[in-house]
Amino acid sequence: MDAKAFAALLARWAQVMEDNKEELIRLDGLCGDSDLGLTMSAGFAAAAQEAAASEEQDIGKLSYMAGKAMASAVPSTMGTLMASGLMNAGKALRGREILDARGQTDFFRAYYEGVQARGKAEPGDKTFLDGLKPALDAMEAGLSDGQALSPIAQAAANAAQQGYEQTRGMLARHGRMAIRGEASREYLDPGAAVAALLVRTWADQVTGG
Amino acid sequence: MKKIINSPERFIPEMLEGIYAAHPKELTHAGDDLHCLINARKHPGKVGLATGGGSGHLPLFLGYVGEGMLDGCAIGDVFQSPSPEQMLAVTRAIDQGAGVLYIYGNYNGDIFNFDMAAEMADFEHGIRVQSVVAGEDVASPAALPGEPNRRRGVAGIFFVYKCAGAAASAGLPLDEVKRVAEKACANVRTLGVALSSCTVPKVGRPSFEIADDEMEIGMGIHGEPGIRRGKLLSADDIVDEMAPPILNDLPLARGDEVAVLVNGLGGTPLEELYVMYRRLAQILEQKGLRVYRSYVGEYATSMEMAGASISLMKVDGELKGYLDAQADTPFFKQYQQ
Repeated sequence: MDAKAFAALLARWAQVMEDNKEELIRLDGLCGDSDLGLTMSAGFAAAAQEAAASEEQDIGKLSYMAGKAMASAVPSTMGTLMASGLMNAGKALRGREILDARGQTDFFRAYYEGVQARGKAEPGDKTFLDGLKPALDAMEAGLSDGQALSPIAQAAANAAQQGYEQTRGMLARHGRMAIRGEASREYLDPGAAVAALLVRTWADQVTGG
Repeated sequence: MKKIINSPERFIPEMLEGIYAAHPKELTHAGDDLHCLINARKHPGKVGLATGGGSGHLPLFLGYVGEGMLDGCAIGDVFQSPSPEQMLAVTRAIDQGAGVLYIYGNYNGDIFNFDMAAEMADFEHGIRVQSVVAGEDVASPAALPGEPNRRRGVAGIFFVYKCAGAAASAGLPLDEVKRVAEKACANVRTLGVALSSCTVPKVGRPSFEIADDEMEIGMGIHGEPGIRRGKLLSADDIVDEMAPPILNDLPLARGDEVAVLVNGLGGTPLEELYVMYRRLAQILEQKGLRVYRSYVGEYATSMEMAGASISLMKVDGELKGYLDAQADTPFFKQYQQ
């Protein structure tokens, strides 16, 4: 993946958030203030626009700039968390113009760590992290098996989807859903839904879908 | 919705245009963005104090930018956090080489954005930033040992601004101003009561339903659920119910001194606040507590919400000194006695 492909990934993410806007609004409306669909579509659109307008070849710098653009466009809780992911990935990948399978895994790991450092949640707290963590584990497993990028990405997308589905049953500890206490267990986490969309869309790009 | 506005979309920009037009000598903005409000007067070498948060709470937050108080404020849309870029612009504009302290309320969106702004200030501009997060609403659960504060930040942040502002104006360094702000936070408790809802202009309908004859003790300033909803009681009965959760949460003994804030939420007349204050003063006297200073009025509102909050800060010699210091902002003035 080079800077151009990274910018294309951001554009795909913006499109998939736009396509899933109503579903995210519905999911978030069950417990939250139902603005997640708007936040994610506007946020990734701002990030994609920033990257598309730039000649920057450094993927790290590009990701950092895209994250900042998102943070300015949607300074809500989830907007800032996703921006933190992009910005942290940007810091971690500074100076990199090409990302191989290892590099792309590093991108998602740094994204994950940026979100976690900002939100201070742990896996199992029914958040975005519970969608992305299983995908990261799948990527690491595929890398150590010496697999090619395509099967790694497919396995990661499936793992993210499963992780999202497994948020039903988890007790929410953060955000508005936590106010529901034990009743929060019956809901799917909208943040984890975003994680599943991000990984699935990346896998589609990797496999030429 | 019955409001004096031109359009929901232009509500906050036009409010800001009005504020800058009314107070051109006192207030200005960093760069072109009206949401980045700063004190027009600079004090070289002074620790910069910044706050920020959603609109809809005037005089909170921007009303405390001025002499003896804060240096800047990032302003969001109604009940929405401002962006990290806006916070960063304020930070850069108020840094006088002594570092910047953020003081803001305990809400996730604000925490995430101020943390990001602090990182950008350090990473991109080498500005040293510290943060103090105020959360003192006893209606929200106290943190378990070792956990971060989970309480909402409400009107009591006024005391934190006042003390930290005076400490910074006295020339204290960043770490010391932070210590004073944390000390004020640790000694403040607040509890509110809501009688009616506010309406966010872009939403157009009340944020929550509450019957004409009902009240809710402990409701937050954005309509967060409180402790108890019931029939509206008399002023004395309301204060009798509100005082104990505050008093029991502070380590107070007979003979201790407190500063008192009886704050209107926007739709309750000053007369009613003084009826509440009367009862509160009786309770404090019964408990053997001395009132060192009192503030009664609108300090942190929720637009047209009817209701009030009571804040107490336990004070010692140091906090009393900072509380007494002069302050002069377009929204808050206090003269040295």
